Amino acid sequence: MNEEVKISRKLRRAALLLLFQHHRLPGAKGWELRKALGKDYMKIIKLLNRRLEELGLEIKIVHESGSEEYTEEDFDRARFYVVCKSPAIEELSGWRIDSLAVLAASIAYIISKQGRVNRSEVEELLREKFPDWKIEYDLNNFIRRGYLSEDDSGNLYIGWRTRAEIDKKTLLEIIAGYFPSEENQKL
Amino acid sequence: MPQRKDEYYEELAKIINLCQSIRTKGEDPFLIDIPQKLQLLRKLLPKWKLIEELLMDAEAMKELSLMVKLQSDWIKRKASGLFIDPFLIRAKISLMGKKELASAFLSSWHPIVSLEQLTSKKLEEALDYWRALIPLSQRLKELEEVRKIEESTLSISDLMKLKFLSDRTFEEELLRMKEELKNLKEPIDYWKFVVKEDYESTILRAYILSFIISEGYVDLMFNPIEERILILPSSASKKKTPRSFPIAVNYEKWMEKKNERRG
Repeated sequence: MNEEVKISRKLRRAALLLLFQHHRLPGAKGWELRKALGKDYMKIIKLLNRRLEELGLEIKIVHESGSEEYTEEDFDRARFYVVCKSPAIEELSGWRIDSLAVLAASIAYIISKQGRVNRSEVEELLREKFPDWKIEYDLNNFIRRGYLSEDDSGNLYIGWRTRAEIDKKTLLEIIAGYFPSEENQKL
Repeated sequence: MPQRKDEYYEELAKIINLCQSIRTKGEDPFLIDIPQKLQLLRKLLPKWKLIEELLMDAEAMKELSLMVKLQSDWIKRKASGLFIDPFLIRAKISLMGKKELASAFLSSWHPIVSLEQLTSKKLEEALDYWRALIPLSQRLKELEEVRKIEESTLSISDLMKLKFLSDRTFEEELLRMKEELKNLKEPIDYWKFVVKEDYESTILRAYILSFIISEGYVDLMFNPIEERILILPSSASKKKTPRSFPIAVNYEKWMEKKNERRG
C-alpha cells in the first residue's frame, strides 16, 4: 500500500479514537493509540495535531504525574484529548456565570493549597458570596463532571477534567494579578 | 531522647499523629524534620520486641515516607510556577466579583472536544441484549436464591452441629493444648507446633491455638527479619493493645510446612 494512503488511514483512525468517546472518559490512552496506530503513533499524533490546529483545536496530553522528561511508558499511560486551542468563549459553556465563578474560585484555591483542601474550607470561602444550597449543588455537580474530586475524608482535589481543560497557570495569574478597578471599588 | 518504654511509644504516636495531621490539613510538609525523626526511629528500633511495637514502628516509617513524597510534590509545584500563597488567592477571590471570576475561568478554559455516538452495530447488540434479558421479577428471585447460600463464618456451635466437633472434644482439645503449652519457656515456631501428619489435625490445632492466644494464655510474635511466627510464654504483667493477626492455613501451606519439617 502507498505510504501516503497508509498515513491518511492512520490519521482518520487517530481522529476517530480521540474525538468519539468509547470509554467512560473522553479521549484515548497512549497504549490504545499505539495498539491502533503502531509504535510510531506519536508521529501520527503530531501530524493530526497540525491538521486540527487549522480548526482551532489541539491535542492535549495529560500525564499521570508531573515530570521534566517523559519516557515511552509515560506516554503509554498518559491520556490524549482534543481540546479547543484558544480559551473558550462564554457562549460555549452553557453554564450560569455564578457557577463558573464557584468553579474558578474552588480550582484556584485548591491549587494554591498544594492540590488538596478540605471541602469545608472551600465551602467557607465560597459562603462569602454564595448561599449554602448553591455551593452544595455546584460542588457536587463539578465533582460529578470530573472538574473536582473528593475522597472519603472530605478532601477536595483537582479532577481529571480540570487537568485536561484548564490552563492552571493562567487562571492563577489572572486571579493573583487582579486589582479592583475604581468602578468596582466605588460599588 | 525518651527514657521509658511507654515514652518511646508516645514518641512513635507523636510522629504518626503529626504526619497525619499535616497530610489531612494540607499543611506545609516541611514543618516536620524528617532526618531527625528517622534518627529517632533508628535509635528506638532495637527496643521493639513485640509485633504491635514493630507494626507501630512500620506505620511511623510509612507516614514519614509519605511526608517525603509530599515534600517532593511541593518542590515540583513550586518549580512549575504554580506555587502561590493561598492567603493571597483567598484575598483576591474575596475581592473579585462573580463576573471577574467567571471571566478568569473562561480565559483559561480549553474544553475537551468529544462526541458520543450510536452505531448500528451497538444498536443491534443492545436489541439482542434486550431480547435475552429475563424479566426483573424473575432475576430478583434468582438473586435471592443465590444470597441464601452466601459465604459465612462457622462458629463453634455450627461446627458442633455439623458433627466436626463435639462439645466434649473441643473442651478436651483446648485443655490438652494448654497442658502442652504449660511448660513453655522459650519461643517456639508456630508452624512446628501446629503442623501434624494429617491435614485435619493441623487445622484443628491452628483453630484451637487461636482461642488460646485470644485468651492470653500464650503470645504470638512475628519476626519480620526471619519472617517467622513464634509462640511465646504469656507476659501477663504487660498491658498490651490486642491486635488481630491473620494466619492462613490451607492445604498447600500444610504440605509445604510438612515437607520442610521432614526435609
